[in-house]
Amino acid sequence: MALPVLICDDSILARKQVRKSLPESFDAEFQTASNGLEALSILRTQEIGLVFLDLTMPELDGVGVLEAIKAEGIDCFVIVISADIQPEMKKRVMELGALAFIHKPVNEDKLQSILKQYGLI
Amino acid sequence: MSHTWLNSPILSQLNSGVIVIDDEYQIHYLNAFIERHASMQLSDVKGKSLFSVFADLPEAWLKRKLMSVLDLNTPAFSSWEQRQYIFKLPHLRPITSSSQYMAQNCSMLPLVSEQTEQPLICILIEDATDAFVYQQHLSKTLIELEKANRQDGLTKVLNRRYWEEQLKQEIHRAQRYHHPLSLILFDLDKFKDLNDKYGHLGGDFVLIQLASFIGSLLRDSDLFGRYGGEEFGIILPDTGLDGAVEVSERICQAVADYPMLFNQQTIRVSISMGVSELLPKQHLLHDDLIRCADMALYNAKRAGRNRVCSYLAGETEYQKKVN
Amino acid sequence: MSTLGFNEEQRDCLQEIINVAMGLASDKLARFLNTFVHLQVPSIALVGASHIPAEFENRYQDTEAALVSQGFFGNEGVRGEAIVLYQMENAHKISALLGYEVGDVSEIEMLTDISSILTTTFLNGLADQIENSLSYSAPRVLSSAKGDMSSLLKNTSFHWEHALKVDISYQLIDHSFNCDMILLIPGEAVTNIQRILDRILEEY
Repeated sequence: MALPVLICDDSILARKQVRKSLPESFDAEFQTASNGLEALSILRTQEIGLVFLDLTMPELDGVGVLEAIKAEGIDCFVIVISADIQPEMKKRVMELGALAFIHKPVNEDKLQSILKQYGLI
Repeated sequence: MSHTWLNSPILSQLNSGVIVIDDEYQIHYLNAFIERHASMQLSDVKGKSLFSVFADLPEAWLKRKLMSVLDLNTPAFSSWEQRQYIFKLPHLRPITSSSQYMAQNCSMLPLVSEQTEQPLICILIEDATDAFVYQQHLSKTLIELEKANRQDGLTKVLNRRYWEEQLKQEIHRAQRYHHPLSLILFDLDKFKDLNDKYGHLGGDFVLIQLASFIGSLLRDSDLFGRYGGEEFGIILPDTGLDGAVEVSERICQAVADYPMLFNQQTIRVSISMGVSELLPKQHLLHDDLIRCADMALYNAKRAGRNRVCSYLAGETEYQKKVN
Repeated sequence: MSTLGFNEEQRDCLQEIINVAMGLASDKLARFLNTFVHLQVPSIALVGASHIPAEFENRYQDTEAALVSQGFFGNEGVRGEAIVLYQMENAHKISALLGYEVGDVSEIEMLTDISSILTTTFLNGLADQIENSLSYSAPRVLSSAKGDMSSLLKNTSFHWEHALKVDISYQLIDHSFNCDMILLIPGEAVTNIQRILDRILEEY
């Protein structure tokens, strides 16, 4: 059964890059959001299994989304993909319940090994 | 530690210095330029610390710069304008400045050694001595130009424009800090007669001599300027009227006793002096203060010359000449 | 402020590349300074170089500000001049962090070092993503007395055609350090960059 996946990033290019880094065998149905508010409205109304989340977005940023997911008990995996790669940020994101943190530019192998590790592929 | 990629003929011909060190500051390579200028052989210094091989390096500063190159993987630079040289290397061109060392532009570039993946730093040293010398000449010329801008060409005291600027500033300062300020205006008595008798050369000679003599009687903080042909002004900061009058009388007397030798002739002159103290309420512009000193000077002339007169408070008009 | 020359896709691509470069540079800087750098998305805009002086006049009009410029050269015709502008009081904050003590080095040297670090880490991050590599000329300081910024900028930027204005705000923990970076690029370089962006977009 196809996994419902949400790719959340304000950059079209970045969203494409994530898409492209995923293995062909990955059975998923994709949706996209270009900011945190859009992402939350999708997450609240639909079943989403996995979120690829950027941190720096307008309206509501990645940290805001993570906090909301935690507060509202939304059930989904979150993999953060971000340009802000400082250790402090990483720590914060993991504390908020993210599954993993990948820095941009996305490394295909890294992404795939994480998905494997969590049994998503 | 052998790097075949450093055996290029280009590096040995290059007219700039190349030094390669590792993250522990040990020397891996230096090129012929360095060998010649620093009188050393690569074979003798290889593996040694940069700081033990080159004397007097600014160690803390240089280490910090080199570390930033390694940590950030970005180049660092140093220009001779900030630091004349890093490495004390002699150069062969004669220069007028006191320095005998090469002025340098240095770049510090991150490298990765092909064989060992060990991080290395390439220090590139360019000889900037020509630019340095040129800059020194330019600076000297500019200083002289600036001095000329302030100086009266003949007497070498301050020229009128600059002196008036200074007066404005001194007034401002005196008002701000509530310090006293006095002004002396004086001119040579019967200067026209002197010119007629000894010629303009004589007149000029007297002005030059007198200016120099009076200048030597003043404090460093006093500002001495040429206000007109034979008229001069002295600004006395931190001086009240009494002090200014005392100074003036001393100068007046000294001038009268000062013989000058011109074309084997002895010339004596006298001066008339007007003194006024800054009265902040009355003197709103520097012109006001000048006018008061001028009135006093006029009175000194009228009263017989070769004397000092001070501005009488409340006086607002020049007294009419009594026949 | 127009995006003359870049279409929507190219602009988005450029913004993303710059964001990532900023992320890399901030991280490097944070580790080097042993502090946390708060990342804000840099705003970018492509403007005609003649507009630059007016744009900054307001921000720097009444303060003591400084300008440091550094040339960069890469493959495929990517080249230009990077200018970093800051208010002097900001420069003093970051110098303390860099480990300079008062009177340690001249102000000019400190400014040069900071600017070089900011410029080269950012541009290297940019170059990495477009599979290019850059070399740099030594940074030059042109500091300004109050109110002089506009004429300084005029003198610096007048012979370039376009300017990519990247507004960077580095915020260091407990401090706020703000500076503007402008990348001045000649006309041909803009075309080259567009080509590179298109090539990247094609991959996706």
